[in-house]
Amino acid sequence: MAASVSIRVHPVVLFSICDAFTRRKEHQDRVIGTLLGVVDGNVIEVKNCYVVPHNESSEQVMVDVVHHKTMFDLHQRVAPHEVIVGWFATGPELYNSDALIQEFYSKESAHPVHIVVDTTLRDDKFAIQAYTSRVLSLGDKTLATEFVEIPCETIFGDIERVGAELMLTGFNDPSPEAKKDTVNKSFNDEAETLAASMQRLADLVARASDYVDSVNSGKVQGDPAIGRYLADTLALVPHLAKPDFERLFNESVQDSMMVTYLSDLLRAHVALAERLGTAALPIM
Amino acid sequence: MASVAEVLAAPPKHKELVKNVQLEGQVLLKIMQHCNEALPQVVTGQLLGLDVGQQLEVTDCFPFPAVVPEEEGDGEDNYQLQMMHRLRDVNVDNNTVGWYQSANFGSFQTVELIDTFMNYHENIKKCVCIIYDPQRSARGTIALKAIRLKESFVDLHKEGKMTLKGFREANLSWRDIFVELPIKLRNSNLVQALVASLAPAPTATQADVERLNLSTAPFLERNIQSLVECVDDIVQEQQKVTMYHKNVARQQQLFSAWLAKRRQENAQRAQDGQEPLPEEDPAQFRPIAEPSMLDNYLVTNQISTYCDQINLAASEAIQKLFLMEGMQKAGL
Repeated sequence: MAASVSIRVHPVVLFSICDAFTRRKEHQDRVIGTLLGVVDGNVIEVKNCYVVPHNESSEQVMVDVVHHKTMFDLHQRVAPHEVIVGWFATGPELYNSDALIQEFYSKESAHPVHIVVDTTLRDDKFAIQAYTSRVLSLGDKTLATEFVEIPCETIFGDIERVGAELMLTGFNDPSPEAKKDTVNKSFNDEAETLAASMQRLADLVARASDYVDSVNSGKVQGDPAIGRYLADTLALVPHLAKPDFERLFNESVQDSMMVTYLSDLLRAHVALAERLGTAALPIM
Repeated sequence: MASVAEVLAAPPKHKELVKNVQLEGQVLLKIMQHCNEALPQVVTGQLLGLDVGQQLEVTDCFPFPAVVPEEEGDGEDNYQLQMMHRLRDVNVDNNTVGWYQSANFGSFQTVELIDTFMNYHENIKKCVCIIYDPQRSARGTIALKAIRLKESFVDLHKEGKMTLKGFREANLSWRDIFVELPIKLRNSNLVQALVASLAPAPTATQADVERLNLSTAPFLERNIQSLVECVDDIVQEQQKVTMYHKNVARQQQLFSAWLAKRRQENAQRAQDGQEPLPEEDPAQFRPIAEPSMLDNYLVTNQISTYCDQINLAASEAIQKLFLMEGMQKAGL
């Protein structure tokens, strides 16, 4: 099974690893920790992690087993469905001692995976690599542990995506002042972001129609897959006759107005009650 | 943990109040993950961080287990303590600065919340509660709020004067229970690099899709339903007050009748040359406890939250509808 396993990492895990790395002890090169998640067939979903203190020299490595066990028990109480799926380490590459740690984690999980997050940003890249191990043995004798790289991707839940995008849009503007503003705005103002969303939608439509135009004029070779996507999307747009649309439109607007009116009425009640100094809603 | 908090809230800084909250990206994601997974259950967790003058920096958090095991009475405390110790071992700021909780459709103003706040206040002067609303967030905006209690309300609560009179003397209205704090997001440079490498800014984001969704009816419906429940609650609270006034009036009536009778009796006794009976209030005319106004105020707060949400959602819906109209007209 080892070869066909793939890993999906939730962004929160990577965030935690980075945070742990910035909080490492003095003179410590890297941090390691346990990964928690769920195994579904050949896909391992990594949802959570925690740091385990360790000590390593060129010869040996010490992992704080008590810490590891307690943290696992504590996490189990919150999310009993999450099990140990492997461990992570930071750094540009694999270390010699990794085999020992891998051996330790094989006791905790049937097929532990090892994720290496390159926090040194070598080659200006944030490399995330996942490995699983294979034992090389000759007869009954174990010779070595081989790490095999396996595919690893970052996945976002719908809402996590919104959160990550929030951070992303906040960071697009380099000046710190602007950053602060964006963040505050996106937390509070729903109406204003609508305009931005609409703008992006219009841009997308324009891009699609540009593409279609250039295919029609023969400038670009058409891609059937894109064509099919476009056709499917267009088929989803409802075609409403004008009177139908107007009826729908008016009904919806009236509904919304009605609701606004009701809530305003109630607010007026509350304000009135406050002025009158009674706790009661006056006209009810 | 209390000692650390006490040191930090040392006398000179004591008077300073939290003005804003700074969240770290991982905290936001952790809260979101925990709250969304637990839906529709309401969950809570602890916030860890530092307080720097008027700013409260939340740098880490951990979730609380949903069910406290029965066998140990102090299960939660134990869990909390152990978790904090373990986190301290790996250099996390282990200083409680508050807690977070999920709220369905913005319903968080409860007596329990106030009680929790008061509990925290005993040890930590500066504590905040972060309210995260998973349902509203599913509509494309992160609904996150940081609140704390107003100091004057805390004082009033400590004195136990939760009556209409108490509130009025302290000049507090229902608006003055909670203070909402602005939230800032901050990430270390390393995390910023991570975010940038994770996802290059897409042309249309998931948030856009959710935001442009035309159907707001279910959300509005739920909100209105909750609002109606709130109004029912407040009417009930009102009945309590009316009952109290009725009871007081009846008691007074009974008392004056009794007093008149006693005076007559005493006049009779004076004629007979006997000792007069005391005109004091006997045990049966003990003053009736005035109902607490806390519930009422909280429900009012709740109503105002719902109204805001409804107004926002409705105006948004109208905006979208007009956008639709524009598009339809352009298309035809």
